[in-house]
Parts: sequence; C-alpha cells; structure tokens
Amino acid sequence: MRKIVYILEHDFRNFFRYKWWLVGLISMNLADLFIMAIVYNYMLNPEITQQIKSYFNFFAPGLAVTGLFASAFMIGREVNMEKRREVHQYMLSLPMGRIEFAIGRVLSGGMRGMVYMSPLLATCFVFVGFPTLPQLGVIILVLFLLAMGISGLSIAMAVSTSSLDKFVTARGLVYYLLFFCSSVFYPFSLIEQLGQEGKFPMFLVTFARVNPLSNASDIIRAFLLGTPSFSVDMVICVLVFSLIFTLFAAFAYIRLIERG
Amino acid sequence: MRKPKKRGVSLTRKLLFVVERDVRLFFQYKAMVIMRAIWFVSQIAFFGLIASRMVAIEDYFRYYVGGLSTMTLYSAAIFIGFDIYEEAEHGVFEYLLSLPVSRRELVLGRSIGGGLRAFIYVGALICIALYVTGVANPLNLLLALFSLFLFAFGVSGMSITLAVAIKSSDRFDILMGVLDALVVRLSTAMYPLSVVKEANVFYGWIANFNPLTYASDLFRWGAGIESMLTFENPLLPLLGIIVFFAFFTFVGIVLYDKNIEGGGWQ
Repeated sequence: MRKIVYILEHDFRNFFRYKWWLVGLISMNLADLFIMAIVYNYMLNPEITQQIKSYFNFFAPGLAVTGLFASAFMIGREVNMEKRREVHQYMLSLPMGRIEFAIGRVLSGGMRGMVYMSPLLATCFVFVGFPTLPQLGVIILVLFLLAMGISGLSIAMAVSTSSLDKFVTARGLVYYLLFFCSSVFYPFSLIEQLGQEGKFPMFLVTFARVNPLSNASDIIRAFLLGTPSFSVDMVICVLVFSLIFTLFAAFAYIRLIERG
Repeated sequence: MRKPKKRGVSLTRKLLFVVERDVRLFFQYKAMVIMRAIWFVSQIAFFGLIASRMVAIEDYFRYYVGGLSTMTLYSAAIFIGFDIYEEAEHGVFEYLLSLPVSRRELVLGRSIGGGLRAFIYVGALICIALYVTGVANPLNLLLALFSLFLFAFGVSGMSITLAVAIKSSDRFDILMGVLDALVVRLSTAMYPLSVVKEANVFYGWIANFNPLTYASDLFRWGAGIESMLTFENPLLPLLGIIVFFAFFTFVGIVLYDKNIEGGGWQ
C-alpha cells in the first residue's frame, strides 16, 4: 500500500508541475460555462427548452465530466514520454512489484482527474443545485470509476503507440469521439433523432448511448435536474468501461516495462 | 543606379528566408497539425450537425462551419509564440541574432511566416468548410480570404508581441489559454452577435470589437452565409482587421527589436 502511495505522490507532483496548463484549462472550462452556455441558453430550440429547461444547467454536469476526462487523460502523455525516453528502465529498478507499480499509475491518473474535477463539480452544485448525501455518494463513486477507466484508457494507448505523433493522433480520435458523440454537449434525444432520420450512423447512436461520458453526465443530471431519469444501467456502463480499461492498462503496462 | 535595386532584392530574399524557415518549422509539428485537423472534422461532423438541431437559428450548421474555420486559423496563427519560447530555451535566439538579417526584417518575416503557415494549413480545412457551405460569389470570397490572410498575420504579430513582452513561457502559456478561451467565446465565431448581446450586454460589447468577429463575419460574407451577419457593410470588419494587423505588426516590430537581446527568458 505504501509503495502505491509513493507512486501517487510522484504522479501528483508531476501533475502540479503543469500548474499553468491547468489554470489555462480551468479558465477555458469556466469560459465554456459562463459564456458559451449562457449564450446558447438564448438560442435554444423551443422543443429543447421544454426538455432541458436551461442549457446552462444542462451543460454544467457535462463540463465537470469533460474536465475529469481531460485531466485523467494526462497520465497517458507522461507514460508515453517515459516509454520514449526509456525511463521505465529506471522504474523497473525501484523496489516494488510490477502489479503495485501498474495499479499505482492507473490510480494516480484517476485521482488526479478527481482533484481537477472537484472545483468544476462544486461550481455545478452551487449553480444547479445540491444532491442528497446518498446521491452525492453515487456521483463521486461513478466519477471515480470513470476517472480510473479514462486513466487506464490513456495508459493503454500510451504503451501501445511507439511515437508521440501516433499517440497524439490516437488521443485526438478517442478524445473527440468520446466528447462529441455523447450527451455532454447536447441531449441524447437529438443524436437518436438524427440516427432515426438516417443522418447519423446507428452504430454511433449506440456508441453515444453506452459512452461512459454520456452516462456519467446523465447520472449527475438525473440527480440535480430530474431528467433524464436515473437507471442502474448508467452505472453499469461506467463500471464496465472502468473495469475493462483499468485491467487492460495494468496488463499492458506490465508487459511494456518487462519487455524493456 | 544598380545598388538600390540589389539591396531591395536582398531585403525581400532575407524576408523570404525567415518566412520559409517558419513555415517549415510549423509542419514539423505533425502531432499538432493532425490534432487540429481531427478537431476540425469532428466539430463539423458531430458538434455542428447535432448543435444545429438544438438551436433555433436558421441555417446554423453553415453558420457554425464558417466560424469554425476562423477559430482554427486563430489557434494555428497563435502558435508562433510557442516557437519563440522553444528557440529561447534551446539558445536558437543567439544563432538568429548572428544572421545577416536585421531585427525588423526578422520580426516582419516571422509575422508573415506565422500568418502564412497558419493560412496554408487552414487553407485545406477551409476547402472542406467551403464544400459544406458552398460559395455564392467568388469575388467576395477572394476579398474574404485576403482579409483572413491579414487576420492571420495580425494574430501572429500579437502572439510574437506577447511572447517577447512577457518573456516567461509559463505566463505566456496561461495567458494564451485564457485569451483563447475569451477571444473565441466572446466573438461571433459560434453564435450571432444579436444573441450574444441579448445574453449579456457586456459580452456583446466585447464581441463587437473582437477581431475574430470581423474575420468570422467576413468569411461568412465571402461564402454567402449572410443571414446573421453582424455588419451590413463588409468594409467595416475589413477596416477592423487592417487596424488589428497594422497595430500588432508595428508593436511586434518595436518590441522584438527592443527585447530580443539581454536574456531574461524564463
């Protein structure tokens, strides 16, 4: 356990080295909420207004999830850099087991995401409303699972790509697919409607439905806004995503450091 | 009689060398180039398409695609400031200062190079945008593209000015992040000015004087997306862009000339 704490400490120190980048990211997120979301409020289609009431309230939970995603994904960049600079040779010499090391990295990626996301989630609560204590517990648990899954996904991608260009390209594809093909920015009903009209491929509609970003945002909305209604399937989707990528990342990471 | 001519040619060539170097440098950042392209396409294919269903603005999809092109141009042109920090960190400045090129030629060339490379890169993306939006009047489009060219030079000049004035990569990084967030969102790149004003008068006031508003409006005017234009007369945004370009090119030259030497880069 102590060894995992050392890994966490190492990765948190690294995380706060990017403090200026983090401040820039937070200001971009807040500008999205306090400028873009407010302006979109005045452009909403009346049908959508009936459905979501206010775009600001709709978007605030989505913003917390996007913030979590972006910050939890940062660990992948570091792992990729360590791989290219062969720092993992040094890592192997540390007095700790491979499993402890891999779990520590995935966990720290997820924890960093949670730390970054906290002020965004607090802002969401202040402006949209507070959940009950059990609801807060579910939200934190789901977001933690999501953060772990994202951290795992980014590490898996980082160890599977040989160069920074390939990693950045793969990250771009995954990033924007998960971001835009989700209900983070718009209600899922719109994606569904486009799918039914044949303007959006059905596999992307299905992807948007099972997308962990959609489900995490909708769980927060279900508790704070009452729409969409909460279902256990949403938690299962996030749980499955988290399990798959946490295990896959730990396995892939161990393979990478052993292969040298 | 021959001397001045020879000097003139030499000056142009020196500028060309500086421009060529910066254009080549940009395309070495393959990851950044690819990321921006993926972002652009996914914004059109996902956000533009779905958000156009969410809002009650007529022809919002084409409107958004038009704004997206200028947003991408802005973020590509701003990148030259980061190059300057890379050079300072790796000691390339000393090499640049030893070249037979004056400070003014250097900064003018860098400003042109920064704008040109952004324009070359975004040119391909603009073609995709024009395929989506269509072109109503080729002459208007040419004028619009010319104004985007000046806009890209102006943004490069602004980036150089800020980089040289701040001399701290951390501060520059955060300033660019905040500036990018505010310049893009407080403009008409994503929404019409009338809606921004309705949402918040202060936001509307800033958007009214934002060069990105001028560039977005001119591009839409050039592509024939005229339903929600901010200005009735396209000469007004064009004038705004010319003032923006001239101001930052001039200030950039003066500051670069004064601050490039003496170290102090962090």
